[in-house]
Amino acid sequence: MSLLKGKVAIVGIGEVPTGRFPETAAIYHAIESAKLAIRDAGIHKDEIDFCMPTASLFSPQFNTELVTCRVVEELGLKNCKKNCQVFSGGSSSSCGLQMAGSLITSGVARTVLFVHSDRLGTGVTAQGGIDLFSTAGISAEWEVPFGQHYSSIAALSTTRYKYETGCSDEQLASVCVSNRKWAEMNPNAFFRKPLTIEEVMASKMLSTPLRAKMSNMLFDGGAAFILTSAERAKDLPNRPVYILGESGVVTHFVYSQEPDVSRFGWAKAAKEAFEEADLTPKDVDVAEIYDSYPIYQLIGFEELGFCERGEGGEMFMKGDTWPGGKIPTTTDGGMLSKGHIGAGGAVSLLVEAARQLMGKAGKRQVEGAKIAVETATGGTYMDAQVTILGTEIP
Amino acid sequence: MDKATKPIPIVNPWARPFWDAAREGRLIIQKCKECNKNIFYPRIACPYCFSDGLEWVEASGKGTIYSFTVVENNAPSAFIQDMPYVVAIVKLEEGVQMLSNIVGCDTRELKCDTPVEVTFEKLNDEFTLPKFRPVKD
Repeated sequence: MSLLKGKVAIVGIGEVPTGRFPETAAIYHAIESAKLAIRDAGIHKDEIDFCMPTASLFSPQFNTELVTCRVVEELGLKNCKKNCQVFSGGSSSSCGLQMAGSLITSGVARTVLFVHSDRLGTGVTAQGGIDLFSTAGISAEWEVPFGQHYSSIAALSTTRYKYETGCSDEQLASVCVSNRKWAEMNPNAFFRKPLTIEEVMASKMLSTPLRAKMSNMLFDGGAAFILTSAERAKDLPNRPVYILGESGVVTHFVYSQEPDVSRFGWAKAAKEAFEEADLTPKDVDVAEIYDSYPIYQLIGFEELGFCERGEGGEMFMKGDTWPGGKIPTTTDGGMLSKGHIGAGGAVSLLVEAARQLMGKAGKRQVEGAKIAVETATGGTYMDAQVTILGTEIP
Repeated sequence: MDKATKPIPIVNPWARPFWDAAREGRLIIQKCKECNKNIFYPRIACPYCFSDGLEWVEASGKGTIYSFTVVENNAPSAFIQDMPYVVAIVKLEEGVQMLSNIVGCDTRELKCDTPVEVTFEKLNDEFTLPKFRPVKD
């Protein structure tokens, strides 16, 4: 139980399209996203007193620029007291949000700009991307020498999950189809053509049973949000998106040390987050579930409590998670369809959760959405981060 | 494409005895003298009771496949020449888990919870990797 409940709110969001932009400097994705977020919040840029850029992976030199205040200077944030990187890989959205919230509730900061950008789509080659993700976050002593990489990791979770639940490959493929239905309506998504289960099943086998179209692809992009106190938020134009509950569980560094690779720490993190919010999964209008591979979206969905273990696949297949479904899920298309931009995968999901609650999601707006849950996980699914957001403080 | 050099384990000093034993065809793990828990991978203190009293013990080399995958495409550069190869999490009889490769098997017959036993594959003069193969009936 934290002191954040109802005390801080996302008041502005910004995002640039996800894609391949070889002519575009990485800093553009950061500062354009940040500019959009500041304007969306309806604040003066000089209200920002803390800049929190999360890390970029494609270039250590560019990441050093983020660390050494480039965003602050480019945007002329002249009252910025601190520029400090917060990074926890794929869970940087949740961890950054909670760090920013803590700074605000403690009085260290009043208004925080959190921003992500990366160029994994054009800043590295395809094989370079595979090689980067056969070492990044993977133990150089205990896993790299055996040919481990992120496809094999996702496949290991998938194999065990199928073995324990009887889930079919078609059900896993339906997670990709569900996300694509949302991406079709997202102008910032890379993959926007309709996708069928048959197309997923016909795609190249990577690591059994994981196929190419069950795998995320790496792209360029960026997103940003502005967090401030609930009190300040009341005077701003957007409907404030309050933090209502949050929790997390760190489970491992070395993936093969995880005792349950088809559950992780989601159930505990979700229980604590929902308890803090005094809400249940039944109260959730929109679920932004981390989806670097379908298995992780399915596990997250089930462990959060939207259904019993083993029943999620059927729900994704029959449309419960689609536009118009019972529980709209990963409504920006996720990493599987919007595209994976590194730490920004979940930043996109958090920004989308805020967008839905602000009522600004355009064609994919979930009518009357008041409560959202966002999940994120970093490294080799090393942690389970759950955040509950809402437009009213219960 | 050039065959990329296989990555060798980046060894932490306190894990050196594990790799020295592997080179001799022995699988050893740590055991805590205080709480008696078996420990893998090697630590500087017991991750259960935080004792410094760790010792090395011989592992049986027997276990089961907790999960596995056959890598058929998009392998890291150094492993492209090995495709298809099997990556697996093996759960040893001693209760600890480790990542390895399953070798000497028909990949179509692999299943979770299949019994396996250790076998050693030399990587170079310094390193030998513990791998596993299905136990023959």
